[in-house]
Amino acid sequence: MKIEAIIQPSRFESVKDALREIGIEGMTVTEARGHGRQKGHTEVYRGREYTVDLLPKIKLEMVLPDALVNRAVDTIMKTAKTGKIGDGKIFLSRVEEAIRIRNEERGENAL
Amino acid sequence: MTTAPRPSLNPGIPPAKNMQDSPTPLSVLGPQADAQRQRIRQQFEAGTSARETLRAQCELADSNVQQIFGEVLRVHNREPQGLCLLALGGYGRRMLFPYSDLDILFLLGNEKVEQESRPLISEFSRTLWDIGFRVSSAGRTLEECRRIEEDNAEFHLALLDRRFLAGDAALFEKLDTKVLPASEKQARPFLLAQIHRLTRERLTRYGNTIFHLEPNVKESPGGLRDYQATIWLREIVEEKKGIRNITAAEEELSAAAVDFLSAIRCFLHYSNGRNDNTLTYELQAAAAARALGVGDGVTRTPAEWMRQYFRHARTLNRQLLRHLEQKSPVSLTLRQRLFNAARAAKFEPGNDRFFMVRDGMLEVVDQPVLSDRAVTYSLFAEAARTGTPLSREAERCIGYILTHPELPPKNTEISWAMLREILGSDYPGVALRSMQRLGLLVEILPEFGMIDSLVVRDFYHRYTVDEHSLRTIEHLQELAEPPDERGAHFAPLWKTAERRDLLILSLLLHDVGKGMAVENHVTGSLAALDSAAQRLKISPEEKEEVRFLIEHHLDMSATVQRRDIFDPATVSAFAQSVTTLEKLQRLCLLTYADIHSVNPEALTPWKAEMLWQLFVATSNHFSRTVDRDRLHAHDEVSLLGRVKALAGEASTEAIERFLEGFPRRYLAVHSAAEIAAHFALYRKLGTDPVQTELLATRHGFSLTLLTADRPALFATISGVLAGWGMNINKADAFANAAGVVLDTFHFADLHRTLELNPSEAERFRKSLADVVNGKAPLEPLLKSRESASRGRTPKVTVETRINFDDASSAHSTLLEIVTQDHPGLLYDIGSALARLACNIEVALIDTEGHKAIDVFYLTAQGKKLTTQKQELLREVLQGTLV
Repeated sequence: MKIEAIIQPSRFESVKDALREIGIEGMTVTEARGHGRQKGHTEVYRGREYTVDLLPKIKLEMVLPDALVNRAVDTIMKTAKTGKIGDGKIFLSRVEEAIRIRNEERGENAL
Repeated sequence: MTTAPRPSLNPGIPPAKNMQDSPTPLSVLGPQADAQRQRIRQQFEAGTSARETLRAQCELADSNVQQIFGEVLRVHNREPQGLCLLALGGYGRRMLFPYSDLDILFLLGNEKVEQESRPLISEFSRTLWDIGFRVSSAGRTLEECRRIEEDNAEFHLALLDRRFLAGDAALFEKLDTKVLPASEKQARPFLLAQIHRLTRERLTRYGNTIFHLEPNVKESPGGLRDYQATIWLREIVEEKKGIRNITAAEEELSAAAVDFLSAIRCFLHYSNGRNDNTLTYELQAAAAARALGVGDGVTRTPAEWMRQYFRHARTLNRQLLRHLEQKSPVSLTLRQRLFNAARAAKFEPGNDRFFMVRDGMLEVVDQPVLSDRAVTYSLFAEAARTGTPLSREAERCIGYILTHPELPPKNTEISWAMLREILGSDYPGVALRSMQRLGLLVEILPEFGMIDSLVVRDFYHRYTVDEHSLRTIEHLQELAEPPDERGAHFAPLWKTAERRDLLILSLLLHDVGKGMAVENHVTGSLAALDSAAQRLKISPEEKEEVRFLIEHHLDMSATVQRRDIFDPATVSAFAQSVTTLEKLQRLCLLTYADIHSVNPEALTPWKAEMLWQLFVATSNHFSRTVDRDRLHAHDEVSLLGRVKALAGEASTEAIERFLEGFPRRYLAVHSAAEIAAHFALYRKLGTDPVQTELLATRHGFSLTLLTADRPALFATISGVLAGWGMNINKADAFANAAGVVLDTFHFADLHRTLELNPSEAERFRKSLADVVNGKAPLEPLLKSRESASRGRTPKVTVETRINFDDASSAHSTLLEIVTQDHPGLLYDIGSALARLACNIEVALIDTEGHKAIDVFYLTAQGKKLTTQKQELLREVLQGTLV
C-alpha cells in the first residue's frame, strides 16, 4: 500500500521519529503548499498585505507491506494530530508493483 | 575532450583479416598489459610518485598503441604513408591516469586515405578496447584540422597537447609545424574566448569555490582542470616574461599542487576501479591514513589532510583566475566602462592615492605603501564600500608585501573602527573574500582560522565551514539587488538593517565552534567571541548583540521547521526570546543567509516563505504589543544594580521612580549606560524642565528629550526638527508612570547645518527647549522651511494607508500609518492627533526609503478611541497626508 500523508510542517520531525521507532525509515518528503478547510490568512507588514492562501505543509509518501500499514497510519495520526483545523490528511492507495532499481528485486522484497 | 562523430569508424564492418593472425595475438597482449597495469599500481601503492606513475601509464599505453598500430598495418598490408596517430589532451601531455581515456587522433593525409583506412582504424580501436584501454578516437584529414570548428572548441583545445605516436612522421611534422601554427594563430581570439567560456561554465557549475566537502579533483575549482586551463592560457597568449608572469616560487607551488592532486586522482581511480574523480568522505579518510601525496608517512586526520588538499587547490585556482583576469578576451561594454568610471570617480584623489580602478577591479599602483597595514586595510574598506573587488594582481602585490620581511610592516593591528567600516559596508563579502585568500582575515580574526578549510561531514552542507561562513555574507550583500525571488522579501531588511557590522561579525564567528573540541559548536563560537571581543576592544553592548546572534543563530530556523508559526502562542514565545524588532531583523537576515549557504538548493522558496511569515508575524507582534508589558522597576533587581553603579550617588528608589511604568521595549532598546544617562537627565528636570542630549551618529544625529508630558508635545518636537531641516528617520516615544516623556529621535541633517556649524548645536537645543517650554513660537521656524521645500516632487510614490487596531492593546488604540515620507511629516501627523485631543502613549517611527511607517498607541481621556473618533481622525489624516 502507498501512504500519502499531508501534515503540518511543525509535526514532521515528531512523525518521522515515531515512524522510525516502529521500523519505518524509508519515505519521500516534499515541501508542499495547499489548503482544505483551513483557509489562509492575511498579514499586513509595513502597509503591504501578505496573503497566505496556500499554507505550508509537508507531504510524506511511503509504500509499505500490508502488515505495516495500519500501524503506520495510527502512528501518523497520533503524532501529527494537534486537534486544530489544518492537521492534514492521510490517503491510502494500492500499489501494483515495486521494483528496486539496483538489483531489480520486485514485490515486498523491494520495499 | 569531446570527439566529433566518427563516420569513418564502422564497427559493424568485419575486417578482412584480424589480429588473431598477427604474431602477437590478443591472448598475449591483453594479459601482458594487465600485468603491467598491476605492476604500476603496486608501485604506486608502495610509494612511487604520481608523476612516475603517470609516466609509466603513458609508456604502457604508447607501447601498446604503437605495437597494435604496426600489427594492424601489417595485417592489412598497408604502409603508414598518409596516416599517423596523435595523442591528444591528457594523454598527449603524458598525464594519463589509470582509468582515463586514450584520446587518439587519426591524422589522414586526404579523403582517399580516410576511405581506405576505415577498416584499419576500426580494428585498431577495437583491439585496444579488447586489451583494456578505453579509447576515445577521432579521425581528421589535414585539411579538417586546419579548419576551426566553432561548435567543437574542446577538440581544438585538445589539439594543443598533441604528441606524435606512430605512423607517417612527415605528415605529423606538416601538421605540427605548418598547418596548426598558422590556424592556431589565426584562431587565437576564438580559442581564448572558448577557454574563458568553458572555464567560467565549469567554475559556475561548482559554485565558484574550491571548498567543496567532497570535491572533484579534476573538474572542481582548484582541480587539475584549472592547471590545464592555465597552461592553455599561457600557451595561447605566448606569455612574455615580466611582472605579470609566473615567478619561480609560484611555479614550484604549482608543480607541488599538481603532484599532490595527481596522486589523489591516481588513488581515486585505483580505489574506484573507474574514472571517478570524486574525493568522497570515505576516500578522504583512506588517503589521510596513508598521508597520500604528503610523502612523510605520518597519518593525519581527514580534516588535517583535506587542509593540505585545499592549500594546493587554492594555488591552482588562484593562478587560473589571475590568468583569466589578465587575458580577458571580451572588451568591456560601454555600460561597464561608464560604470567603472563612475566607481572610480567616487575616490577622493589625494597625494597618497595608491590604487586605481581598471576593468572594474581595484589595482595597486604604489606597492611599497602597502607595508603600512592601515593603508592595506583602507583598500579593503574601499572594496567593501564600492563592491569593487581587488584584482588578482592587486592581491599578489599585497601577498608579496606580506611574505617579504625586508618590508617591515607598520600598523599591523586593525582597529575595531576600521574593521567595523569594512563589516558594516554594503559589500563586506567582497573585501573579506580577498582578505581570506591573503590570510589577512585569519590574522585579524585568528578565531576564524579554526575553521580554515575545515571539512565537517554532513549530509546537507556542501562546503567547508569557512566557505559556508563567507557565503552567508555574500548572500546578504546580494540582497542589494536580489538575484531571485527568494531574496525579494529580505532585501528591504538588509537595506535598512542597523549595525550590519555586528551582523557580519556574528556570521564570521557563528560556526567557529565547529573547529573546536566542544560538544555544542555554539559554545565554542561564543568562546571565540570572548577572545575576539577582548582583542578588538568591542564594547560590552556590541559584544552582547553579537553574542545574542551567535547564541540564537539556529532558533529562527528551528521555529520555522518545528513550530506552528501561524499559532499566536508560537509567535509570542519567539518574540519574547528575541526581545526587539532590531534584533529580529538581524536574526532573520542571519537565518536567511545561513540556510542559503548550506547548499545551493537548501533555501527553497517554501522555506524562504516560512521564514518571512515568521518574521512578519513577530514584527507585527512587537509593534502591536509595546504597551502590554510595562516595567515594574522594583522587580528589576539586576538592572537597578547596573544603573545604580553607573549613576553615581543616586538612590535605588529614585531610579525606580524614573523607570516605573516605561514599556519593556525601553529596556530592550537601551543599554544600562544609556539608561543611566537618561536618568541623569531626569534628575536635572527640576532645574530645567526640558532636558536634551544631542549626539552625532554614523548616519546623522540622535536626540533624546525628557520632559513632563503635555498636550501636542510630540507634534511640537517634530515641528522644531522639521523647522531646522531635519528629516526624522526613526523615533521612539515612551512615557513612565509619573508622566515623564522620553522621546528619542534619529534624524538626518538634510542641510548639514549641525555638521558644518558645530556651534549651531547649542542654538538648536535652545530653540527646541524654548518652543517646548512655550517661550518661542513654532510657526516662524516652520515658515522658513516651507518655502525651501516647496515644489519638490517625490521620486517614488507611496500610497497612504491608515489602519486602526483596537484588539492588540488592552489600553490603547493602535494607529498604523504608512505614507510617503517628507520633511515635516511627523509634525503634520502629530498636529492632527493633537487637534483631536489624542494622547500618544507610545510612538514607533520608522522609514524605509521614501516610505514612512509609523505606529502610535493612542488614548483619548485615558481610554481607547471611539469608532467615531477613529473615523474622524482617518478623515483628518487623509486630508493632511494626501
